[in-house]
Amino acid sequence: MIQAENISLRAGEFYLNHVSLQVQKGEYFVLLGPPGSGKTLFLEALCGLRRLESGTIYIDGRDVSGMEPRFRMIGYVPQDYALFPHRSVRKNISFGLEAAGLSNAEIERRVDEIVDWLNLGYLLHRSIEGLSGGERQKVALGRALVIRPRVLLLDEPVSALDESTRESVCRQLKHIQGELGLATIHVCHHLQEAFSVADRAGILKKGEFQQVGTLEDLTMRPINTFVANFMRCRNILSGKVLGPSDREGWTVVETGEQRFSIPGTYTGTLDLIIRPDRIRIERNRDSIHDPVLRIPGVIRRIADQGAYLQVELDASFPLILHAIREELAGMNLLPGTETTALVRPENIHVLVNAE
Amino acid sequence: MAAGETPIRGWRGLLFVGVLSTFVALFIAFALLLIMADVLYIDWQSVLNVMTSGFVGHALWMSLWTSAVTVILSVLFAVPMGYILSRFRFPGHVVVDSFVDLPIVFPPVVVGLTLLVFFTQTPIGRLIESTGFEFIFQPKGIVLCQFVVAASFAIRSSISTFDEIDRRLESVALTLGCTYWKGFLKVSLPLARNGIVAGAILTWARAFGLFGPLMIFVGSFRGRTEVLSTTVFLEQSVGHLEEALAVALLLVTVAMLCLIAIRLVGGRAIRL
Repeated sequence: MIQAENISLRAGEFYLNHVSLQVQKGEYFVLLGPPGSGKTLFLEALCGLRRLESGTIYIDGRDVSGMEPRFRMIGYVPQDYALFPHRSVRKNISFGLEAAGLSNAEIERRVDEIVDWLNLGYLLHRSIEGLSGGERQKVALGRALVIRPRVLLLDEPVSALDESTRESVCRQLKHIQGELGLATIHVCHHLQEAFSVADRAGILKKGEFQQVGTLEDLTMRPINTFVANFMRCRNILSGKVLGPSDREGWTVVETGEQRFSIPGTYTGTLDLIIRPDRIRIERNRDSIHDPVLRIPGVIRRIADQGAYLQVELDASFPLILHAIREELAGMNLLPGTETTALVRPENIHVLVNAE
Repeated sequence: MAAGETPIRGWRGLLFVGVLSTFVALFIAFALLLIMADVLYIDWQSVLNVMTSGFVGHALWMSLWTSAVTVILSVLFAVPMGYILSRFRFPGHVVVDSFVDLPIVFPPVVVGLTLLVFFTQTPIGRLIESTGFEFIFQPKGIVLCQFVVAASFAIRSSISTFDEIDRRLESVALTLGCTYWKGFLKVSLPLARNGIVAGAILTWARAFGLFGPLMIFVGSFRGRTEVLSTTVFLEQSVGHLEEALAVALLLVTVAMLCLIAIRLVGGRAIRL
């Protein structure tokens, strides 16, 4: 288990501001955020490569904040892998064991073990120069794992790989992490990558965690517009609270020219999300009598996204909805068609925190 | 013709390479012409005299060993200084960094004068001389002059080399169990090897041909503090122009052989 408690540090103009995080043994945590948000800095701080201004780092309950990096037993795979170009693949993998002063026989045994496990045998005597991105990634992983770390930190471990390789390597990473039961932090900025490995994730922005939770939390219940945008939520709207609704515990909100009630009590202005897959569509504007929010509009564009159709609607605000083909079959919907989007108020998510 | 892996094609490509190569050809041709002028001027009896002369042999030996010791001393300073100045920023870093280059722009004669003043006019200098560790008019003084004038080349090269080494390699070494020393010795130093060797070559080249400060600080005593460059001066000052040129040719030949040998031993990676 690794835990960062209120750690702060400065690197030039950048400030990592009271960041806290706990990753349990066996948990795969994905650290998301745009470039320059402090992800790498955070990992370096955990490794002991940056001096903390304040805060504490614990590994398996032990305070390691003042320890040299070599005593932390962290397997670190930095961005672009940072393999030693003057050493062969074998010598790269054995580096940590040599540094620990193990006997040659023990080094050989441990290297062979990790090489077999990662299927690296065919690379062993190659130089680093000629390796592909995927091979480099494996060697860097082998080098980090051979020291039998307690925590694994991966800084964009698959970003240099092509899309198809990335997917399989992510599966392998998840498998390895599961086998070893390591607390793992994996930095990336690709959502797809995060979805393929994460037990939990957190989003950093300018050195501060915006939200930490399961990917479902981040996607379905983003805390602010930054998280919502990062998770590629569509239909993020700004609304003005008009007052309490007739229905107890509900609030009347106005966005665009549309007024509707949502569950909960709010004041002032708020941001809200209507998820595209929670919007239904009807051909006829007047056919619905159910207590749902009805948003009349005109179809601007229908784009085939493979698994679903994306319908862009010009209403009192631009609205995007996702529909399966069968749902729209027979409705003869074309760009320019007048239609009504239907949303259940319960499916409107309010972003509780201002960004 | 190919530039690295990229073949040069078409007349525009040939023109491009041709124009650039012209400068290479002009430079080499001019240097060869100068050497040829010397070769054609001297008579071979003078060359024979010089080659069989005991004092020239001594001067050659003196030039070789003093420049070799200077290189060793320079590298000894260049490696730690290069690493510190590359990796750490501290108050006054810019001043220290500029100080490294100072001897390069300093007129060498001034270095000789400064050393002379230091060892004769300052208490510390006089103390050093009085303890029996003498530099003035001594072979040790040759090494000192060469070191002051030439060490900057090794240090500057070392700084640039460490600058080019990815710091993350050292960081990873630390996480893999290395102490700072071990990380330096197992990662940074091996990777800096070529740059350090390149700096050593520059230092040696500068030290081997040094003249000005030696005349002021150690003089040119035949069989004691005479090096090849001062032999050239001594010979021409007494009107032995042909002998002076023969010694100069010997100096150029030895320097050229040494530079080629170092490059061949160091491999293609050692580029100045």
